[in-house]
Amino acid sequence: MKKIIHVDMDCFYAAIEQRDDIHLANTAVAVGGSPDNRGVIATANYEARKFGVHSAMPSGYARQLCPHLIIVKPDLSKYRAESKKIRQIFHKYTNLIEPLSLDEAYLDTSDSELCHGSATWIAQAICNDIFEATQLTASAGVSTSKFLAKVASDWNKPNGIKVVGPGEEIKFLDKLPVKKLHGVGKVMTAKLESMDIITCKELRAVELSVLVQRFGKYGKYLYDLCRGIDNRQVTVDSTRKSVSVETTFEQDISEWQDCESEFMKLLSSLSRRLEQSKGTDKIRKVYVKVKQANFVLHTAESISIGLDIKLLIALLKRLREQYPEPIRLMGIGVKFPDLKRQKTAQQINIPF
Amino acid sequence: MKFSIEQSVLVPPLQLVSGAVEKRQTLPVLANLLLKVESGILSITATDLEIEMSVNIALDGEYLEGDITVPARKLVDICRSLSGDKPINVNLEDGRLKVQSGRNRFSLTTISAQEFPNIEDTLFTTKFDIASQSLKDLIDRTQFAMAQQDVRYYLNGMLFELEGDKLLTVATDGHRLALSKIELKEVVAEELVQAIVPRKGVMEAAKLLSSSEQDCKIELNSNHIRISLGEYVFTSKLVDGRFPDYDKVLPKNAERILISNRDKIKDAFSRASILCNEKFRGVRLLLGNDKLTIHANNPEQEEAEIELDISYSDKDMEIGFNVNYLVDALNVIKTDEVKFNLGDANSSVLIESSENSDSLYVVMPMRL
Repeated sequence: MKKIIHVDMDCFYAAIEQRDDIHLANTAVAVGGSPDNRGVIATANYEARKFGVHSAMPSGYARQLCPHLIIVKPDLSKYRAESKKIRQIFHKYTNLIEPLSLDEAYLDTSDSELCHGSATWIAQAICNDIFEATQLTASAGVSTSKFLAKVASDWNKPNGIKVVGPGEEIKFLDKLPVKKLHGVGKVMTAKLESMDIITCKELRAVELSVLVQRFGKYGKYLYDLCRGIDNRQVTVDSTRKSVSVETTFEQDISEWQDCESEFMKLLSSLSRRLEQSKGTDKIRKVYVKVKQANFVLHTAESISIGLDIKLLIALLKRLREQYPEPIRLMGIGVKFPDLKRQKTAQQINIPF
Repeated sequence: MKFSIEQSVLVPPLQLVSGAVEKRQTLPVLANLLLKVESGILSITATDLEIEMSVNIALDGEYLEGDITVPARKLVDICRSLSGDKPINVNLEDGRLKVQSGRNRFSLTTISAQEFPNIEDTLFTTKFDIASQSLKDLIDRTQFAMAQQDVRYYLNGMLFELEGDKLLTVATDGHRLALSKIELKEVVAEELVQAIVPRKGVMEAAKLLSSSEQDCKIELNSNHIRISLGEYVFTSKLVDGRFPDYDKVLPKNAERILISNRDKIKDAFSRASILCNEKFRGVRLLLGNDKLTIHANNPEQEEAEIELDISYSDKDMEIGFNVNYLVDALNVIKTDEVKFNLGDANSSVLIESSENSDSLYVVMPMRL
């Protein structure tokens, strides 16, 4: 049996900003892009959430919901520094850490003998350590699988711990609404609701064949989740597989000239990012993505040894020719080879 | 425009020509066929701006001259689905193409023939005749090695090379290379002529060549290739690029030579491939005294080991290959015996018939 902890910082970016600026205390704060140029909210604090503000919401709309909302420009280097401190705390307890982003991670403490081997106490100790080191609060979920740990960390948020111990999984799931399951969004919730399924208990009453017939492979996934079956391991994989940059335009663009100049801006920030990380010689693929004004996303990708700028432009050009609609967002990126995969077999090229 | 035609006369050329239609449909008219009736001849043309295929069919009976374009897929499907016992009557009426046969009536949308692009007329500098079957064989022996959507766009096609009385085709995807040559009836090019025909052009040309046993006429210049066969004319733009120097990568002076019955070694590879990694297709070859052992395994830890008697008397060696590349080459070598010319575990193998060197297959190894 495994002991998994999911640690999730409470409104991480907003909490850091509030900690660092006394003027932001006790008021609705969000971190994100400016409403004037179509920014989106990255994180909102609990005061702001009361007004319905949440992450990924356009800042302009957030301001409508909450007129006194203070929107702070994100300072990612600051958040990264805090995240690093937190990760060092994790390492005191286990090396089996799978970060999901700057502000959340899975920890596998099955083999840890600290705190008498109690994952609950480890989770409590981690949250205490984090607060001591950063004055920020975290919430944690403790359970026997990644999925349950993640659901649990949301249970007593903010600044709370929820434990779903061995043998308690089914009882915990019984009351859990299906929309809390990972991957169940609005559409799936509605579909399940039409089958009179609101909670995991009701979902569990449905036979596997019915779910598979209705939802395909996803049906099997639902069948497993509502039974608490989730065999995913906590995997430590810190090798970066890709680097990318993107930008949302203040106004939609469609002229090739504008695309090209935005592309050049992105290229220079991508180059900077690459200098900081792996360098360009290991690049194996480059790609371009554009999001149309109607939010439809298109990507084009090609094999490339190194950062081939001409090739990137050609990919962008092809996308623009194929989909000439105005675009609101453009991104470019590179991918590095998957080292694990390369080991299994490597085809040698003809030396032309 | 108006004409009447038997189904059996219309459908085969209609299908062959419509292969050239643009599949991605960037321009609506490229999804259409151009129909043109002039002096008792119906000509049908399709193009994707890169290749163009057209056919002339002599009409019996009454007709009215004119031209129009209609959706290719739909016209082909309609004509194919008819029972064939009644003639097909085609009539352009108020901008609609009426197709009628017996008690079946169809009405299709049209686009004016003026909007149909045609590949500009060019002067050809090199011309020669060749038996369709010979050219078809030449293409078949190499086309499987062409790259697909490679960024090295010049690999997404086939190199045709003329020198003196030799015609040679080469295709490569960067992992393996296929080369085949034949002798022509006469000297057609004093100097070296090279032309890269795009992948789709190669495929459509191969279809055209299987339609007849007659000789065909090949015309070439620096931008286009044209193949005329019977009532068909096929034109393709050439890929503007430099094909890699294939001669440089043909291994010379083999250190190790394996000779085997073709069918036996091919079947052995196919059997081993059942349990090789589905993505990488790697197999390991162990060469010993007159014995070849082929090993394959997959991520599920399943294993295959195939032993085979062959002729081999050089130093033992172990080398890995993508099994598909080996089988592809063995599929097109038609003689009873094949020869593998090997170097070391990091250098390519050259596979050929043990009787002649008209076709050569170079496959780079895999590190397994």
